[in-house]
Amino acid sequence: MKIATIRTSDQVIIPLQQHDGAVCSSLVSVGDTISVGQLIGDGEFRIHSSVSGEVTAISELPHPSGREVLSVVIKVHDGANVHEGASEESEPEELSTGKIRRIIRDSGIVEPNGRLTLCAKADINTIIINGTNTDDLTANAALMTNSPSEIIYGLKALMKTVGAKKAVIVIELGSAALQIMRTETIPDNNIKIIATPTYYPPGTENVLSRKFAGKKVPRGSTPEDRGVLITSVTAIRAVYDALHGTPMIKKVVTVAGAVGSPGNALVEIGAPIKHVIDECGGCSGTPVKIIMDGAVSGMAQYADEVPVIKTTTGILVQTERDINREPQTPCINCAWCVDECPIGLMPHLLYGYADSAQFDKCAELYIGDCVECGLCAYVCPSKLPLVQIIRYGKHGVAEIAAAEMEVSE
Amino acid sequence: MTYTISPPPHVKSNETVKRMMWGTVAALMPVAIMAIIFFGLPALIIILATVIAAVVTEVVIYKAASQPVTIDDGNAVLIGLLLALLMSPGVPVWVPVIGAVFAIAVAKYIFGGTGTLVFHPVLVGFAFLLAAWPTLMGTASTPNLGGLWDLILENGAGRLIEISPAAVLVGGAFVLYKRYVDRRVAISATILLLLLLPIVGMGSQLPYVLTGGYFLGLIFLAADPITSPVTKRGRFTYGILIVVLILIQLHFDAYFTGMCFAVLLANALGPFIDRNTIPKPIGGK
Repeated sequence: MKIATIRTSDQVIIPLQQHDGAVCSSLVSVGDTISVGQLIGDGEFRIHSSVSGEVTAISELPHPSGREVLSVVIKVHDGANVHEGASEESEPEELSTGKIRRIIRDSGIVEPNGRLTLCAKADINTIIINGTNTDDLTANAALMTNSPSEIIYGLKALMKTVGAKKAVIVIELGSAALQIMRTETIPDNNIKIIATPTYYPPGTENVLSRKFAGKKVPRGSTPEDRGVLITSVTAIRAVYDALHGTPMIKKVVTVAGAVGSPGNALVEIGAPIKHVIDECGGCSGTPVKIIMDGAVSGMAQYADEVPVIKTTTGILVQTERDINREPQTPCINCAWCVDECPIGLMPHLLYGYADSAQFDKCAELYIGDCVECGLCAYVCPSKLPLVQIIRYGKHGVAEIAAAEMEVSE
Repeated sequence: MTYTISPPPHVKSNETVKRMMWGTVAALMPVAIMAIIFFGLPALIIILATVIAAVVTEVVIYKAASQPVTIDDGNAVLIGLLLALLMSPGVPVWVPVIGAVFAIAVAKYIFGGTGTLVFHPVLVGFAFLLAAWPTLMGTASTPNLGGLWDLILENGAGRLIEISPAAVLVGGAFVLYKRYVDRRVAISATILLLLLLPIVGMGSQLPYVLTGGYFLGLIFLAADPITSPVTKRGRFTYGILIVVLILIQLHFDAYFTGMCFAVLLANALGPFIDRNTIPKPIGGK
């Protein structure tokens, strides 16, 4: 599997929010000349510049989440955009735990789900790397086929830091990466490759923890509480880069759908998606929808100047032909959503209660457990916007809880 | 450049309620055609008149209530067709017509239309006719599976649906494969019924239960997605409940009507079963 290298965009937009959490504060101001790899945002975690250039603006700009977020706009200077990195090469065993931990924290590594799991302080026994692919996004497989030894290096470093004794890499049956990773891990008895049939949604942490580490995660706790650290190929690859002096400034993104040459590309954080699409052969046909991340659970974008951020795994372009515009009809209780829900919820009931603002009922039916994978809305023969209304219900439940807190105080 | 934005998912399956309904209608075509071939013109007239009555009633009621008319979703056609198939060929044609009007007006419209039904409209219509004109609803003969040939063409068929168990099963296999009816209810109920009959000492009823009427009842009526429960455990419970009710009815020699009342009674318990079988999500205590 090839990972294409694309031309650097003339201008990059680096939002100061790249994870599930607070917006970072900017360390640069308009007019500053900055170099690639320079720290530009700090707060809960760190953001580095992916290019060398001049800061032309710091303002609220469209963000993949659909909101406007404070972003640093950098006009790229020609040349000198290659990050040198550190030259020293050392085996993970030689680095001290504290040093690795510090480097990981300083490099601003974010999981594709927006969490900063790697920095979590917990008693970890098993690390699970989720190497399966979401929808038609093949970035994980591409990373593993292209840099298997780097990933094992990153994994060993991480195992050492968190004190994990075992690691599991989950790969789909039939994936090109399976054989390569198997060969790569032969010398290690404590790193296991598990081949799994394709299932969806692949990234649900509680499901991964139960399936591949045998640890059930009770409600209200995370896999880390049970000694399981779930991470991604992207993050592990970033750990390798970080230990070699390069912070998280680039990532592999799958460009799919109606584009000239779909595939994986190594993209600078902050590159506008229009630039990435143009570099991958441009749109074939009139684009109607541009979706960040997977087709089932991704976000449709309203503007194509939205930048690639650290959580971006893919860019999907859809034309009119790809879009199902069947009208919505009433729910007929067919229970297809109940059969599909990977969590075991009652999506149609949640939909009905949330739609009529009965948030107490939503909470009784565990609305907070929904992972918004979108399977229910995919199969729904009535074409109900289940995910959207369930999100509304979650919001309503949270508001009631907040109001109750206020009353009790 | 403007782009369409919408909540995820950005891909959706091609199945719609419309396809489910018309697909089920198509699945009933083999047995309807067999009935028309075997019983001739009376069967054709009953089927056409009942379907037309159901559709016209729906149009009139929804127009009168200034609600969007949804006959193109096929639900009214399906109700009319199913009700027609439950008739005996000798019934005066106005009987199923009134049944169809009652099914749509009372059992479907008053209960809130497609999706909100508690009782299956076809069974409500059938029960109404049975109560109003019991003498007209009787059949000239009772089917009894004598040999293998009867699976293809049942000579003792008293109702249109009983003409060919094989034709019902072909359509049934199609709707089960496409999930247009609920697999859990249909399969659990069918297997359990066939297993339990000899065990409770009613093995002599087995040839009767293997006729088209029972297959239709278990696949198309009991497992109807709208009126059957939604939870996974609930659907098994519902299937078991229907079998128990059928056995009680069979014990008192009620034959096909017993099947219908068993499902109708189970319909009433559907919401109760649902409420008590809400699953715990993974990770829940």
